[in-house]
Amino acid sequence: MLQPYKVWMITAVLLALPAAGQGTAARGPRTADGKPNLNGIWQVLTTANWDLQGHAAAAGPMIPLGAIGAMPPGQGVVEGEEIPYKPEALATKKANFADRLKLDPEVKCYLPGVPRATYMPFPFQIVQTPKFILITYEYANAARTIYMEDPGPPPIDSWMGQSVGHWEGDTLVVDVTGLNDQTWFDRAGNFHSDALHVVERYTLRGGDTLLYEATIEDKNVFTKPWKISMPIYRRLEKNVQLMEFKCVEFVEELMYGQYRKKQ
Amino acid sequence: MNLLLVCVLIALPLVGQPVWTPPRTVDGQPDLQGVWTNATITPLERPAELAGKAFFTKAEAAAYEQKVVADANVDRRRSDISTDVALAYNEAWWDRGTKVVKTLRTSLIVDPADGKLPALTADGERRAAALAEQARLHPADGPESRRLTERCILWPTAGPPMLPSAYNNNYQIFQSPGYVAIGIEMIHDIRIIPLDNRPHLPSNVRQWLGDARGHWEGNTLVVETTNFTDKTRFRNTSEKLRLTERFTRTDPDTILYEFTVDDPATYAKPWKAQVTMSRSPSRVYEYACHEGNYGMVGILAGARAEEKGSNK
Repeated sequence: MLQPYKVWMITAVLLALPAAGQGTAARGPRTADGKPNLNGIWQVLTTANWDLQGHAAAAGPMIPLGAIGAMPPGQGVVEGEEIPYKPEALATKKANFADRLKLDPEVKCYLPGVPRATYMPFPFQIVQTPKFILITYEYANAARTIYMEDPGPPPIDSWMGQSVGHWEGDTLVVDVTGLNDQTWFDRAGNFHSDALHVVERYTLRGGDTLLYEATIEDKNVFTKPWKISMPIYRRLEKNVQLMEFKCVEFVEELMYGQYRKKQ
Repeated sequence: MNLLLVCVLIALPLVGQPVWTPPRTVDGQPDLQGVWTNATITPLERPAELAGKAFFTKAEAAAYEQKVVADANVDRRRSDISTDVALAYNEAWWDRGTKVVKTLRTSLIVDPADGKLPALTADGERRAAALAEQARLHPADGPESRRLTERCILWPTAGPPMLPSAYNNNYQIFQSPGYVAIGIEMIHDIRIIPLDNRPHLPSNVRQWLGDARGHWEGNTLVVETTNFTDKTRFRNTSEKLRLTERFTRTDPDTILYEFTVDDPATYAKPWKAQVTMSRSPSRVYEYACHEGNYGMVGILAGARAEEKGSNK
């Protein structure tokens, strides 16, 4: 039987473990059932949605928008900077970028997929329950339910895929499969096939910061798995709430204007 | 003494319903969580042949269900091929439900007592007529000419109020401290309802689904929604609509969902409806409406082709 002082010492050692790495104790609030409390409204501050890789500022694709439409500079979020494309896939990525106004699904208000939903320049809200964790994104009313009990393989591919979660220590690990090949990773044309498999890790770093990590695997497009990571910040404004960004209405002219009756 | 009386009154069962206390969530809210469906064949308004009859008996309900389901079956052959083609979706696509609401009411509307929508105000009449005229003269000039459902902007399933529709009548409710979230299968709308008595958004900020605020009255979740757009137009309502919804779990597998439509610009007095939501053994799937909206191109391009033909 452990002596009380030993218990105290072990506890102290456990608490002192660094937060980096796997299965370590999270810092921050806890839910009533003792899990790290991820509830809240969150948003990233990176320019990852412009380009996952580091990039200098550049003119945007729409001249009339001037400085408003320019690409802000940003440091990359890809571990090791390089995305390990197969040669033919890299050519596709470059072609995507060249024709991005036409091809980027974000332009058409399509569902963003995972992981892109996380780092769109919009907040998202986590509603955490023991069996299901809802993540609802302001952009396009995109939403996903993380099943904490595996419902079995996804019956069909979808835009937001199927998310199955479990706790590894105090990190929420989410296995995302069943993603279709219609979404991109960013506005730079980074793309994937329907073989995409994403493993996300959400770790609380104190009350108002989450560490987000995602490992990306797609044997049709990449030579090996690769990883992105970035902090996500809690939105702290008084009475902050997700607002409605139903962007379908804003793309109707773009998508259907050519079929409009000529007056 | 007074307190005792209040307690007794709160404990009184709804008429005809046994007292049942819902379980609590981990943070102590009455638990509404789970997947629910509001699919039902009970119409919003009481059909003329049921005038004066507010409730079915169980036997009458069974007979009515059998008749409505048989009549609605689009797979049975009608008079000719063109009628069959016009019916478009075959039966597999529909999920209208096969049962009347669990209260055995003959209409979803409970007030007015005749189960009918009350008369529109003069202003309501004028707006409704203008919209109908616009639709008649310009049925497919552009995407805005089409219904919100066809545009993948808003469905009756999301409302609010949330009413059953042709299919995808499924909802998943999530609760965390201070929030109730309702995931709506049809076009993946999510309603997030804060429970902390915060004020509504400023009145110049308008949203398709409005701006919802909730609180608990006993075991009933009460949601007040305002800030609707003037294009949301639930049953001809204006942007002044103030909607009150009440969610009460009456047994393990049922939520009694009630709503009150209060819009003096459109209806002289508020009206009320009730729908029973039943626990579903299924799960909610992604319904990416806009992403697959080939119908819009087809409708508009078809209208242009038709105009060309008629100009020849």
